[in-house]
Amino acid sequence: MKQSQTLNFILGIYVVMIFAFVFAPIIFSMVFSFNSQRFPTIPLGEFSTEWYEKVLADPDIWKAARNSLIVSFSTALIATFLGFCTAYSDFRYNFRFKGPYLALILLPPTIPLIIMALAMLAWLSKIGMSGQLYSIIIAHSVLTAPFAMAVIRLRLNQMDPDLESAAWNLGGSEWKTMRYVIVPFCKPAIFSSLFLTAAVSFDEFAVSWFVSGLNSTLPVVVLEIVQGNIDPQVNAIGTFVFLTSMTLVVLAQLFFASRQIKGMQS
Amino acid sequence: MSKPLVIFDKVQKHFGSFVAVKGLDFEIHQGEFLAIMGPSGCGKTTTLRMLAGLEAPSVGEIRLNGRVMNDVAPHERDTPLVWQSLALFPFLTARENVEFGLKMRGVSKAERKQRAIKWLDKMGILEFENRHISTLSGGQRQRVALARSLVMEPQILLLDEPLSALDAHLVIRMQAVLTDLQRELGITFVYVTHSQSEAFAMADRVIIMGKGEIGQIGTPKEIYRAPANRFVAEFVGRNNILAGKVKSIDGRSAQITTPSGIFTVPTNEVQLLEGHKASFVISADLMHIATEEPSGTNKAFCKLISEEFVGSMVTLFLEDAQGHEFKVQMQERELSKFDLHSGDEIWLSWDVQSAHVLNES
Amino acid sequence: MSEKYEIRLNIYALTWRLPIIFWQLIFFVGPVLFMVAMSFFLVKNYRMNEAFEFVNWSRMMTRGFFWDSYWYTLGIATLSTFCAMCVAFPAAFALAFRTAESTRRWAIFLLIIPFFTSYLVRTFSWFVILSENGVVNAVLGYVGLGPFKMLNTDFGTLVGYMTLTLPLVVILQTVTMANIDKSLIEAARNLGCSPLRTIWQVIIPLSKTGLIIAAIFCFILSFGDFVAPFYLGGSQEPTLPILILDTTKSGQQWPRAAVVAIMMMVTLFVIAFTGIALAYRKGKGSK
Repeated sequence: MKQSQTLNFILGIYVVMIFAFVFAPIIFSMVFSFNSQRFPTIPLGEFSTEWYEKVLADPDIWKAARNSLIVSFSTALIATFLGFCTAYSDFRYNFRFKGPYLALILLPPTIPLIIMALAMLAWLSKIGMSGQLYSIIIAHSVLTAPFAMAVIRLRLNQMDPDLESAAWNLGGSEWKTMRYVIVPFCKPAIFSSLFLTAAVSFDEFAVSWFVSGLNSTLPVVVLEIVQGNIDPQVNAIGTFVFLTSMTLVVLAQLFFASRQIKGMQS
Repeated sequence: MSKPLVIFDKVQKHFGSFVAVKGLDFEIHQGEFLAIMGPSGCGKTTTLRMLAGLEAPSVGEIRLNGRVMNDVAPHERDTPLVWQSLALFPFLTARENVEFGLKMRGVSKAERKQRAIKWLDKMGILEFENRHISTLSGGQRQRVALARSLVMEPQILLLDEPLSALDAHLVIRMQAVLTDLQRELGITFVYVTHSQSEAFAMADRVIIMGKGEIGQIGTPKEIYRAPANRFVAEFVGRNNILAGKVKSIDGRSAQITTPSGIFTVPTNEVQLLEGHKASFVISADLMHIATEEPSGTNKAFCKLISEEFVGSMVTLFLEDAQGHEFKVQMQERELSKFDLHSGDEIWLSWDVQSAHVLNES
Repeated sequence: MSEKYEIRLNIYALTWRLPIIFWQLIFFVGPVLFMVAMSFFLVKNYRMNEAFEFVNWSRMMTRGFFWDSYWYTLGIATLSTFCAMCVAFPAAFALAFRTAESTRRWAIFLLIIPFFTSYLVRTFSWFVILSENGVVNAVLGYVGLGPFKMLNTDFGTLVGYMTLTLPLVVILQTVTMANIDKSLIEAARNLGCSPLRTIWQVIIPLSKTGLIIAAIFCFILSFGDFVAPFYLGGSQEPTLPILILDTTKSGQQWPRAAVVAIMMMVTLFVIAFTGIALAYRKGKGSK
């Protein structure tokens, strides 16, 4: 018994160390963003909001932030729409070539981003669609649609398969049934998916960097700053991006949780 | 009988190479309570779904009010169904669920509300109108599901094992609710179930289905006393089946030789031929027991194997010298006069008219 | 069913099925196939001409620097996978077997957070922490050690890879092991299996599928990442992703970058399929 307690204690410390490793860069980045030193180290310098002031004064960063918001918002809408269509088709129908059909949507995340970036850049240039804000939106929709599909498909799994037939039986056509039964049923998952895909898009830099041309998003600006030199502005931007993403994730979780509670009751 | 509301005209349903329904040919009358009963996989639910338009017949026609329904989409029919799973919309309140069908049909908001409230009130659940489905009990949900279908004021209501998820005491209560509703509204109920007690307690007529075919159509009493064939007799249960050869035919009765003895049966409508196989049934509740050997031909000397009590009714399971099983059903207080224990031997007998000859085909 | 109704049902079904087919054909299959085609194109005067020549392939395949980079990337991604799997295992073990369900759920939630923080910012943070005068060396300095050179080394690259992969690997390992039927482990312990042997002979075989999938993901992420080897490894030895980056961004040699990308994809497919085949192979102790 005593031996097992010691073991548990050691394992506990180990888990804490793993979490420390995972969270160290996030926490240090936040701390450094309020630190006056250009090369932050221990002991810390004075508290300062200098980097935030610099960031806020930079019109390029404002523009990038605006671009990021437009991209992640549009990506969320397109990816969620595509994900919903696919999830519903998978849930409702059996058809030939369903395997390749599902592979079509689920495969992109398994391909390294740098390869997707190159392929997207080449192809979008070829068809004359590169270098625009919508180029990033297109690429991000491909990358994030699988996440939308997964979230909505899980929700559909919880649906009583008779529900759709019941709506037809009560006089609803297929389209009305979609509008008044399927979509309301999936609503929590649709919101989860919107926030999740928006968050993933908001952070993505490799593909954005390749296809964006002059329309940089925030992560691309960070990438460009980091390439130049050490500039703690990055920490300030990072903290802002972190807070935005986390807000989205927490919102997604809240919708997810509320749907689980409802799922348990019904 | 009143005029037919629904006609199944040589209907078949195939799923690929599997034939779910082999040939249905029957009528449903206006205003009757019809139960379709059979073991699972007999095609009873498929039959109901075809009536609702959720499956299309592969062969044959279904006519409603004389109109061929084969090509009518489910949402263009007026055949509301009460689902086994209830299939209530979990994201809507009780009242919104009831209003759903009216909304689909384009009924105005005010009228929808008024009609929904009327039906919720009729079902005794008006106080829950704004509650979400997940917060209602099983019995309350059942009533919401009924209200949701009945608010459409249909000519015919389809019910697919609606009580199978309820506790036993609630089943009895809901049976009363359903029969009362059906009498009061005068509309046709088609009730699919595997439960004999539900079907026999509520229905005017019962269809027994097996392997995609109709075994028998009749009133509960007809089916119980005079099963048409061996399948129905076995499915209904609680009866004694004896099989043998026709020894002689004597006007309106016949002698049948079985391993357990020679018995006299009435010939009824069934054609019997001397020397041919024949079998007959006697309901378990028409059997008598006696300690002394009874007079008459229809009797058997048996050993008591076991007893089964349901309420005040007892079923005795007995065996004769040839190992054939007999069942006797009687009131418990009647049985107590005999002071029987398992292993005891006793005489069984039945009236000639209690026996019913089965159709061998 | 009437023909008109059937047509209506088909239109309805296709409305939901077709969008993703069109979208992914144009914007996923299109780019990937075009990249393959592009690897045969020619570049003249910084302009790409559509052609079907093997010159890019022969150039890349015969260059020493490509193969150096290839084997280095394969090696360090494998090392990264090995490290991540080993480092994660005790933590996942503790979370799967020694913690309550609710704690485990919280731990997994916490481990999801890093996915939504910028990987770039985290890498930059490590850059500062690990630098010559950074936090780590400062702390070590107090106890009289160091300073150590950690940036621009393979160690730096590995720290970057771990930042990217460790949370995912811990999550996957934890979930896999938490799903093992606990009674099997108790049975093994009852039969006198020592704790270490139980891990080796019961837990690992039972969670084989999940562990292999975790390793595959870890490998794919490390193999394809350019940020860690670039910023923390100083691209001493350029990895394949850095090669793609350089060839695309500076040299305008997209066709050669495509050759590298295709080589990477082929390698990943071979490894992923081998892994999956191993994971689902029926045999002793597999599910």
